[in-house]
Amino acid sequence: MRKSAAFFIFFLILYLCHFRFAYAKVYIDIDSPSFKKFPIAVTHFGNLGEAVDREGISKEIYEVLTQDLEVSGLFNLIDPSYLLKTPEDSESGSKDRINFRDWSLIGAEALIKGNFFCNGQIIEIEAKLYDIFRGHFVMGKRYVGKRKDIRRIIHRFTDEVLFSFTGERGVFDTKIAFVSDRLGNNEIYTMDFDGYNATKITDHKSIVLSPSWSTKGKRIAFTSYKRGNPDIYIKDLATSRESRISHHKGLNIAPAWSPDGERLAVTLSKDGNPEIYVIDKHGNELKRLTNHWGIDVSAAWSPDGKKIAFVSDRSGKRNIYIMDSQGDKVRRLTFEVNYSDSPDWSLKEERIVFSSLNDGYFDIYTVNSDGYNLKRLTSNSGNNEDPSWSPDGRYIAFTSTRDKNRSVYIMRADGSGLRRLEAFDGDQFNISWSPRFW
Amino acid sequence: MFKRLSINFLVIVLMLSLSFCLSSCGKDAVKEDALYEEVIPLVPEEPEILPGEVSEQEKALTEEQLREEALAEQREIEEAARREAQMKEEFENVDVHFDFDQFSLTVEAREVLAKKASWLLDHPDINVEIEGHCDERGTNEYNLALGERRAYTAKKYLVAAGVETKRIPTISYGEERPLDTDYNETAWAKNRRAHLRILSD
Repeated sequence: MRKSAAFFIFFLILYLCHFRFAYAKVYIDIDSPSFKKFPIAVTHFGNLGEAVDREGISKEIYEVLTQDLEVSGLFNLIDPSYLLKTPEDSESGSKDRINFRDWSLIGAEALIKGNFFCNGQIIEIEAKLYDIFRGHFVMGKRYVGKRKDIRRIIHRFTDEVLFSFTGERGVFDTKIAFVSDRLGNNEIYTMDFDGYNATKITDHKSIVLSPSWSTKGKRIAFTSYKRGNPDIYIKDLATSRESRISHHKGLNIAPAWSPDGERLAVTLSKDGNPEIYVIDKHGNELKRLTNHWGIDVSAAWSPDGKKIAFVSDRSGKRNIYIMDSQGDKVRRLTFEVNYSDSPDWSLKEERIVFSSLNDGYFDIYTVNSDGYNLKRLTSNSGNNEDPSWSPDGRYIAFTSTRDKNRSVYIMRADGSGLRRLEAFDGDQFNISWSPRFW
Repeated sequence: MFKRLSINFLVIVLMLSLSFCLSSCGKDAVKEDALYEEVIPLVPEEPEILPGEVSEQEKALTEEQLREEALAEQREIEEAARREAQMKEEFENVDVHFDFDQFSLTVEAREVLAKKASWLLDHPDINVEIEGHCDERGTNEYNLALGERRAYTAKKYLVAAGVETKRIPTISYGEERPLDTDYNETAWAKNRRAHLRILSD
């Protein structure tokens, strides 16, 4: 409760100061086959306060910045220590005077520099991006927040840096929801996209499963056995209020928010068999979508809300099917692979990520929504399951048992740039990547 | 006193009607008649000897006897409870097992269910919850659905065998309550089950 309140206060006190509009030019075409990593240099931010930087704020800023740029996979980081003079020397005096030639000599084509001012719990950070090659200022932001908001501030700035380079904001200020049994029973947690700031969201001391972020990231729907039966709950993250919206006899599971944020596709067995229904956010049934003697579960909406991918065993083994949002035009999506599960539809393109059991282990695959262009992204590394797209469609979060216990990892959409996000005890599973919060 | 008289009267009436019935059935039934005389005294006998008349030794002996009887009775109750618990445990310990990703009943599963059905028919006062469980492979969501199909299939068999549907509610726990947490086929086979849990009243 406090945390979410603080979260909003942070937004209130945070104000963005545009020095100049970002250049419309797109520096990096990430879809181009000739894509090369862009050489960028990052300086340690200067301390404008009188006190010595005992807490290592400069170091923290540098670490978060370079981590985010690294994760993006778009940049080649140039070590600023290659400069003949220290960055501070060459930039002393006027803040905006950059010795572009010096930076150019060590191969940097872009530069990020900035400074901060810490006053008790309040921190002010100013960060700027320069085009070394063309010799001009590109974009700058000033942030005010609490001391603990430093990571978020830098994530947001890096989001802007990515926008300057690619024309699309990054996803560094997003969160990942998951279930963990580290305390003995399943509870839902959220953490930053880089694994920091893990926060327990539920306290049901029961079986809690399947978190699903609402379209604007304000709510999480999930399944819980809190009252004995698997029922669907919605938690409002700002108020911490929870409501049990679906509690029919039998299963009330696998909630998935529609892109308009008004409805949820869920699996209910109230009519005797697990079928997919669309309900409103108060739990009222709007439409039954499937009608089959087998299992129909794990609905995933297409970004336009017109189609739904789901899992069914109607052909004997579990496989992924697609239907329209009225439950018609059902077709099977996966043929080449066995036991396919947990589809998630990219928000960016007609591509579906899923897990599939082959040779005794689950691995992550992607496929076009027309069934073509199947790609296997993981192999020979334990079980890889629960994939969830990042809101920009460039990353996939998933769980893997490659390092013994089941943990959360992210990788790029092509399977490169693998990172383990946390090192919790127990098992982590049921991943849901948040939308952008701003 | 009045109560006793009325009971005695009732006993006499019963005996008369019984002897009437038996005599009309034939002479062979006389032995049966005698047997009934032993069974009838349901009212506990008043002690014939007054307490004051009992010697101390006898009294001690009686008390000891009584204690032993009470103990024996207690043991018998405990034994009965133990047998009951054992019977329930034996009932609960045997699960109905399934193949991977399947909810259809195997020959073995049907054999187990047949035994469960007759036990349930023999114990009409006992209700059970059918829990559907899965091994850990696949998503929790799919396994919740699969677990429910397993519980339903087991229920359908029991209902067909004559068990009242309201006596056997179902719930699915998917892969959330494994019996064996190892990652191998032996563990998975144990975990793919319909478990019949006796409901306390």
